[in-house]
Amino acid sequence: MQSNTSRSDWRFTVILAFTILLPCLYGFGGKFLEFIHIFRGNTDGMFAVTPIVNYLLASLGFFCMLAWATMRGMFHDIEAPKNTFWETEEWLDHRETETAR
Amino acid sequence: MTNESLTRDVPPNRDLIEERLVVWYFLASIAYLFISMFGGFVMAFQLIRHNPFNGIELLSPGRWRMIHTNAVAYGFIANAFLGNLHWIVPRLTLRPVLSRPLSYLIFGAWQIVVLSTAGGILLGEAQGLEWGETPVWIDPVAQLGLGLVAVNFMAPILKIKGPMYVTLWYFLAAFVWTFLTYAMGNFVPQYFVCGTSAGAVGGLFIHDLVGLFVTPLGWGSMYFFVPILLKKPIWSHGMSMVGFWGLAFFYPLQGIHHFLYTPIPMFLQYGAIVSTIAVEMVVLTVIVNFFGTLKGSSRALATNLPIRWFFTGMVFYAITCAQCALQTTLTFQALIHFTDWVVGHAHLVMFGVFGQWLLGIMTYLFPRLLKTEWASPKLCEWHFWLSAVGLFVMALDLTLAGLFQGWSWAALQPWDASVEISQPFWIVRIFAGIAMFTGQVLFCVNLWKTWQLSPLNVAAVFSGEPSGVSHRTV
Ligand code: HEM
Ligand code: HEM
Repeated sequence: MQSNTSRSDWRFTVILAFTILLPCLYGFGGKFLEFIHIFRGNTDGMFAVTPIVNYLLASLGFFCMLAWATMRGMFHDIEAPKNTFWETEEWLDHRETETAR
Repeated sequence: MTNESLTRDVPPNRDLIEERLVVWYFLASIAYLFISMFGGFVMAFQLIRHNPFNGIELLSPGRWRMIHTNAVAYGFIANAFLGNLHWIVPRLTLRPVLSRPLSYLIFGAWQIVVLSTAGGILLGEAQGLEWGETPVWIDPVAQLGLGLVAVNFMAPILKIKGPMYVTLWYFLAAFVWTFLTYAMGNFVPQYFVCGTSAGAVGGLFIHDLVGLFVTPLGWGSMYFFVPILLKKPIWSHGMSMVGFWGLAFFYPLQGIHHFLYTPIPMFLQYGAIVSTIAVEMVVLTVIVNFFGTLKGSSRALATNLPIRWFFTGMVFYAITCAQCALQTTLTFQALIHFTDWVVGHAHLVMFGVFGQWLLGIMTYLFPRLLKTEWASPKLCEWHFWLSAVGLFVMALDLTLAGLFQGWSWAALQPWDASVEISQPFWIVRIFAGIAMFTGQVLFCVNLWKTWQLSPLNVAAVFSGEPSGVSHRTV
């Protein structure tokens, strides 16, 4: 099957993914360490337990979703959905015009 | 899928999309916009010491300020998005939503939630949570409503096999996020935690509401309509996916940027600042993708009004991004926190970005829904210019007001002095508001005239089945 994704598109996507996801990992890792410190007796930080647990749960959910989507091949041909969407929209519009006649 | 299998498997458009409901949601959305603007004016006149309703408890500006924000978020924006979803989800999944009767039930229930929120606030029953002022006795109903919305729209989306278009990713996430965010914000601080911890959850709630409800629905809609309006696919689907996952991982972290310099532990405040800056990059993916798609089609800005609404919203988004990069730093916070700078930011992003996009979508969809062209393209133009210029003046004015207020406080001037220097800015805000308001009145006049030309009469849209087709836009 011919891929809809050119090499340069791929390269661009990967570079952007890293620029965006690396700071994300940095933020996440930092938060996690702080979480551990709090549990080691920093009473000041006890305030933070509720939001941090919320965040960890939400992120865990997303992590699972990302893993699931990757395994189902959702990102195999990453540009394909934009073309499929475009074609079905055209088809729907065409059918609507035909029915109106 | 081939065209033959599409023809065989996809129900006819009239069974696929409940167009009548889209119209109803849009009308409800516009009605709440007016209620909200009324509230905005009451508060704005109070601030320039000309409250026309002085002494009338039910028209007290404090209560109407809450109605202003609640009607905007849950009335104008939420209704417009729900209408949008009824158009977009079936077209993208090629399946109708789970249940038509359920869709109508949700429509009714949502209006009851919003109206009783307004009633509760007017009667002094507001819950003590910013952006969650919905009285506590309505919270369970609203929560249930959000659950039903998720079930109704997720059913067709989850049946899709193979890679999904970015819009559906955003929508799926928004259904889950909004449900969880509402539960967290309205129940956790009310019943489970108190003090600074409740403050931290409150911060998370405010920002998650804008970031995990308005933002994904807005971006998802943008990725749906812009390619259609420009008649070409979006520039990079890969980049849009990076934006999606970036939003998913960063956004929940940044709520505490609403509470910088508070007793919340400093490491959490820094964490929020770092992730806020990361979100800037995520927003950038959306802006770059839009302009990448627009490249080579910029003539459309002159000829295609809906795309111009999107473009203006995107320019305001870029301005907000720059503004946010400043306002989230501790240095800048010391100057602008509690000032009108923040109110300027809120208007810029709520009306300037998402409001503009939604009005653009209505400008595009009403002719398709009513099966006729706009009665007056000129009025459409006036609607656009009055809204865009009015908003721009309001945002600029409030941003400047915020700076002057901040400097006045930094110079340790008495509080009254900052109120005095704000007066000219607050007066300008009223004029900007009048421009925005007039724009919406003209929109309604035009809508009414268009309705008269429509093959569907008013009664048909409220009772009968819309029929016939038109692809004409402004
Ligand atoms: C007729 C036009 C409008 C006027 C006169 C107006 C006026 C106001 C006023 C006076 C406030 C309170 C500011 C304060 O407490 O100091 C406010 C807040 C707010 N308005 Fe408007 N407004 C208008 C339109 C809108 C629209 C169309 C939207 C969104 C779609 C909007 C969104 C908001 C938001 C989100 C806030 C809360 C800001 C915050 O808490 O920082 N307003 N507005
Ligand atoms: C690049 C993305 C954004 C950043 C970095 C950002 C940053 C901020 C910050 C730092 C504040 C707090 C300012 C203060 O109180 O001193 C704030 C307030 C606010 N933001 Fe944003 N924001 C962003 C996007 C949005 C979006 C998309 C919306 C709405 C759809 C929004 C709506 C608001 C509102 C309504 C407030 C005032 C909240 C209140 O009532 O206190 N923001 N934003």
